[in-house]
This record gives sequence, C-alpha cells and structure tokens, in this order.
Amino acid sequence: MESGLLNLRAAPDDVELLNAIFRAAHSIKGGAGSFGLNSLVRFTHSLESLLDRLRSAEMSATEEVIDILLHSVDVLRYLLGAEAEAELPAEAAELHERVETLLAGQAAAAAPPVAEAAPAAEAQPATGGQLNYYKVEFHPDREIFASGTNPIVLLRNLAALGTVSSCQIHTDELPDLADLDPEQCYLSWTVELASNCPEAEVREVFEFVEHLAEIRIQCVEAAAAPQPVAAPQAAVLPASSGAPAAAVAAVVAVPVAAPVVERRQTPDRRQAADRRQSPSRSAASGESGSIRVAIDKVDRLIDLVGELVIAHVMAAQMVEDFEPSCLPKLREAVAAMERNTRELHERVMAVRMLPVGTVFQRYTRTVYDIAQATGKQIRLEMEGEETEIDKSMLELLGDPLTHLIRNSADHGIEAPEARLAAGKPEEGVITLRAFHRSGRIVIEIEDDGAGIDPKKVRAKGIERGLIAADAQLSDDQLRLLIFEPGFSTKEQISDLSGRGVGMDVVKRNVQQLSGTVALASEVGSGSTVTIELPLTLAILEGLLVRVGERTLVLPLLSVVETVPLRDNQIVRLAEKGEVVVIRDESIPLLRLSRYLGLAQEAKMDEAASAEAHNRRLAVIVAAGDKKVGLVVDELLGQQQVVVKSLERHLRKVDGLMGATILGDGCVAPIVDVAGVAAMNLFSLQAANKVSQQIALAAQSIPAAVHVEKEMGGSANALV
Amino acid sequence: MRKVLIVDDSVSMRQMVGFTLRQGGYQVIEAEHGQDALNKLAGGVVDLIITDLNMPVMDGITLIKNVRMQPAMKSKPILMLTTEGLAAKKEQGKAAGATGWIVKPFDPEKLLQTLAKVLP
Repeated sequence: MESGLLNLRAAPDDVELLNAIFRAAHSIKGGAGSFGLNSLVRFTHSLESLLDRLRSAEMSATEEVIDILLHSVDVLRYLLGAEAEAELPAEAAELHERVETLLAGQAAAAAPPVAEAAPAAEAQPATGGQLNYYKVEFHPDREIFASGTNPIVLLRNLAALGTVSSCQIHTDELPDLADLDPEQCYLSWTVELASNCPEAEVREVFEFVEHLAEIRIQCVEAAAAPQPVAAPQAAVLPASSGAPAAAVAAVVAVPVAAPVVERRQTPDRRQAADRRQSPSRSAASGESGSIRVAIDKVDRLIDLVGELVIAHVMAAQMVEDFEPSCLPKLREAVAAMERNTRELHERVMAVRMLPVGTVFQRYTRTVYDIAQATGKQIRLEMEGEETEIDKSMLELLGDPLTHLIRNSADHGIEAPEARLAAGKPEEGVITLRAFHRSGRIVIEIEDDGAGIDPKKVRAKGIERGLIAADAQLSDDQLRLLIFEPGFSTKEQISDLSGRGVGMDVVKRNVQQLSGTVALASEVGSGSTVTIELPLTLAILEGLLVRVGERTLVLPLLSVVETVPLRDNQIVRLAEKGEVVVIRDESIPLLRLSRYLGLAQEAKMDEAASAEAHNRRLAVIVAAGDKKVGLVVDELLGQQQVVVKSLERHLRKVDGLMGATILGDGCVAPIVDVAGVAAMNLFSLQAANKVSQQIALAAQSIPAAVHVEKEMGGSANALV
Repeated sequence: MRKVLIVDDSVSMRQMVGFTLRQGGYQVIEAEHGQDALNKLAGGVVDLIITDLNMPVMDGITLIKNVRMQPAMKSKPILMLTTEGLAAKKEQGKAAGATGWIVKPFDPEKLLQTLAKVLP
C-alpha cells in the first residue's frame, strides 16, 4: 500500500495503481474485521471511501491527499501493533478527522489545516498550507456546447477554488454578427487564481472537458511560502532529506528560484525523488515480513551448518598439506560437504512451508461473527489443515480466503427459516478443504447455501454494464461475472462485505500465484469455489518404494494399504488389465517394473515373471474413491520430500507430479496418485501405456534435474 | 425547482438516485430506458439527464444521440452512469454528446457534487 502510494505521486492518474491501493485498504479492513479490531475497521473504512473517490476520478490524488494516506499507513501499522480494542491514538484520531473532512468535500474550501501538535502534521506545510498562483488558460472547442457543457459553470467552479485576481476574456475569434453561429463557442479565457489547492484539483474542474478544450494550467508559485521551506539545492542533493515528505517539499520549493516554471518540469524531478524512495516498483510488490519456524527445524539447520563447517575444516586442512595418500579422505570430505549442502538447501526451503491450518484457523472467528451479525447458524468445517504450502503463497491466500468465506457466510448460507423451508437443516455448513491433486495444491470453499442464481447475476451484470442486455451467456459464464471488478450482487454496502471488490481481489491474488479459480454452484444446494495452485515448491510426506533399480515416492496420504501379492489374488481379465482382488474389491494393478530398468525381466517368460511377482508387494493407493495397486519390490521407508516441478524441464508427464532429490543424491520421481487413478486402467493396453509413460519419464529425470542444478538451482526457488 | 430525468432499468438504482436528488432539492422524473425517457421528454424539457448506458429497448448512447438532436435539449447537461473499466463505453458516450460521467458504484454525496459540476 505504501509503495503504491509513493508511486501514485508520480502517476496520479494511474487507475490500476489506485485499484491496487484500494484493494490493499479493503483487505486490511477485511482482515481487521476478522480479528475484531474495531478501531482499525472504522479507520480503514474511511480510508477506503476516500480511495473509492480517487478511484472513480471524483477526486484527484493531490499531494495533500497522498500525504494523508501515507500517514494513514503509519497509523495502520501502529494500530496493528496495538491492542484489539485500543482507542485510536490522538494523531490517528486527528488523521481520521482529516480523512473525513476530505470526504465531506471540504478539502477545496477549507482553510489550510492548522498546524497540529501531532507528529503526523509535521510534513503538512509542504502542500496544504501553501498559496499557489495559477494561470489557467481555457480555450474551449467551437463545438463544446454540443456536449451540454456550460463554460460559465466551469469558470464559476474554478473561481470557487480560491480568489480570482484577474479573468481575461479573449474575443478575437468572434466573427461578425452575420457569420455568428449561436451554437458555437468563440470565446476563450485566461484566469489568474490564487488558491491553496494543488494543481491536480484545479485541473479536476475541467475533468469532463479535457477532450473538448485546450487547457493549460501554469503554476506561478509566489514567494509567499510561509517560511523558507528548503533551499532549492535540496532537490538536487536528495540524500540530505530523510523523510519522503521533506523531499517532496524540497521539490515543490524549486520554482522559488525560477518564478515562472512550467509545472511540467517538476514531475520529472518528483519521479526521480520517488525512484530513490522506492527503488523499484517490482521490488515493492514483493511480500516481506517474518516467519515462524518450529524450533526443531531450526535445530536441524544448525546441526547441518555445524557438520558443514567441520567438513570444510577437514577438507581445508587436507588441501593445506596435501599428500596423494589423503585423496580418498579428501573425496570423502567433499562428498560429505555435498550431502550437507544439499540437505541444507532442502531444509531451508522446507522452513518456508507452513500448514494451511494456520490460516484456516482464523476463519472460525470470521464465520462466528457473521453468524452473530446475521442471525444465521453456520458451522465451519476444515479438512486437510496439515497440508503444507509455501509461506509466500499462504500469505497471499489469506485475503482471498477471507473474501470467499465471508461471501459464503454472508451471501451463500440462508437464514435458518429459509433453510428449513427449503428442507435443509437449520445450520449451514461451510467446508474449507486443502489437498494435493495432480501436482497442485487445491483449496476448496464449499457451502450448502442458496447457490448463485445466474438470473440475478445476469440482471446485475447488465445493470453494472458488464454485459450487453442481449448477451447470450450460459449459466456458468454468467456466474464468472462475479469475478469482474465492480460487480456485487448485494445492494447495500455493508461494513463487512464491501463494495464488490471481493471476488476481484480473489481472482487477482490467485492469478498472482499462477493459480486458477473455478466456481461451481447450483441454485438451492450451494456453491463451491476451487482454488488450484501450482506446486512449484511444496513438501509432502512420502513413502519410498523400490521398483526394479529405481526408487519412487508415493504420497503417504494417498496410501491405503500394502499387501503381499500372491498369484491367486491376481485376476487377468481377457483383453483387459490385471486386477488384484482384495476383500471382494477389484483393484487395477500397475506394473511399473516392466519398464523400469530391469532388463532381465523383459526376457523372462510369463511364468517366470509371475513367479518373481510373487515376492512382490502391491501398494494400494487411492484418490477419492478410485484405487490403484502399484506393484513394487520393496518398501524403503517414509520421509518428507521436497517436491520439485518437472514442467520447467520436461513436458508435463501424466502420472508424475514431480521429483525429489533423496539424501543420497538420487532423484526419485513422485507418483501423481490422483492423476493415475483418474485414468482408465481396466484395460491392459492402457495400463501398460501408463506404466511405460511413467517409467520413461522417471528415467529421463536425473538428467533434467542435473541440468537444473547446473543452472544454479533456480527452478527450486519459488520467489 | 430544477428537473432531473434519471434513466435506468434498475429500480433500485432509480430509487437511490431519486431519493438523493429529492433530498438535494431537485425535482426527479424517472424513466426505465431510453425510449421511455424520450417519451417523457416529449412532455417537457428537463435541466439534466442522468442515464445508465446498458438498458433494454433503447440504450444510453442512443438516448444521448437522440436528445442531442432535440433543439430544446441540445445543450442540456447529460451525465452517464458508467462502470469502472468500461473506458470504451465512456468514449462512446462522450462522442455521442454526454457532458460528464459518474462511475458506479458511487455514494449520494458524490452524486450531488458531480451535479454541481455541470449544472448552471
């Protein structure tokens, strides 16, 4: 938000930027709401209203406004650190008042704010208190009357901003009476105005006629500044001024030296100043902050660093007085270092992984509050809280989830009477669910409420001007409209559910994470929003199995059981695949070993191969209600593995979600259980094809990961 | 008392704008769509028109074009209700002869302020 505001100073008309800031404020309000930080909610609500006006170009982002907003950010920071019910500190209250004053539309008319005692006011004189002299040239097009514009109204509005010292009317274009067309405008004006308003506000008077007139506004700054603000040199030597506001003050003060300076020059300098303050826009958008790490994770890291240091000392000593005889020892030390380094790398990555439960927890309160406020009965259920997700993703997910939960509770779940009338239990249920699917993290928010009525969405979409009145759209297409900016199906603006920016925020944030949002809804039975995020970096608990010469990883969560394979359990269906019958259930078998590096097996005949199979195991994995048996030679153990995406180096392989590097340096492919289970495996051909595909990919992985390492392991880093 | 014609197919929008304007001391006439608005204008001129753009029967752009062809209404201010992000619509409206615009959603206060910007 802060950096957005700083950028806004350079580009006051940047709508995207304004939207971003607005969303930030809205999210803060939402977050504060779910934590019950009432003073914060009130404060941000005012801020939001102010931003809303900026956004709709009803007010312009003048220096004064931005200044107030920047100070507001400081206050927000303070409030966040303060107790939930703490009263606004004096300066915050005062700022709040100033925001409200601006909202009341008195900014233009109000006297320059009196110097306040609070520190927040210190930077104020830079913009608000200064009397500016403007020379405004207004040369309307001949056709300006055709737009219903009355130039006199504009001049009157201009005059209302301050004191007009002179108003010249230019009549030189006026034709002879005979040639005069009464519907054309032949006049133009030059107005000299003394006003406290910043230039943007003066320009705003002409907002509606920018395309219908030539408007030139020169700021002829008088040397009437209340006190020498700063020497002009200050602008050239920006390092001397610490606070941003001071820097701006310096820049604004430049024209003192040159009495008539085209205002056009100053933005360049202002931009330069801003560049200094916020080194780059892209850096500013990155999330910062702290992370809470379990102590045992940290201990393990320290251990590893310790081992690394020892290995290094050993190696260094050996290199110091080198004899050919210590070569094997040196090799050993280097190998140890390599292992340590690799593990360290992975552990550090793992530090970023947090269970989604940490974010899910807070919604209990959100739902409770909404239930209280609306008299509904709502229960929040959570599934898969232990699913780990990268911290940076988790942070960005917080806001979208808040909006979605709130939408479900506020708009989705019906009042108890309505539910009973619809034959549903009084209590509505919202389910928050996280799981892995096909190498992606999926988060679902499901409610059993009223669902989204496409007819209402359509009507609203037409009213909001999002679709044409006669647009032919399917129900699903219509429902997608709710993700459009400016859409809200609720008529009133409530404190919690805002101005229809919610779903917009959701889509933006998820897209920022290269994810997708899907919506399924049925009128009367509820809605499900599904967020899918790429698994660029995630950790899962894996079961390590040996198949032939290869090690494979199966996500432990999807393993149902392991059974020894005996011939009498295997049924070969003619023209179909093999199934193993366990407790009267036929489960298709996948024999990865056929394709995984066991050359001699290929030479075996069916009988011998079946005999070999007898010593093997079938690991039964499940995704949903679909089960698959994977034939493996041995179970190696269970271990947390860091999932590395293959897509950067290989095309997406059906059946594999990624790979991981094991402690001994081997690369192990991770089987995508959901992906495999979704295939039709009750055909021998299909089963063989799937097995072959997985095996082939598995064999090509080591090379790919090696390349990745050579490239500096950049594919591992999420940020 | 100055007369304002508000044209919007959404009853709630008409109610909200109407209520605000009556509070602000204007006389309000409502129309459901462009054709309805033209019919009502045949009964007498107004000082200002506020119109939505997407409406059944006759949309706002067509309405603005029609109004600008009527001698009595030629130079009266017309404000269009637009949605953020529909810059193209706004341009169409400007080309058709709209005086200004109000971005939805807006609050009552802002509506009155915008009116003051264009009404003599």
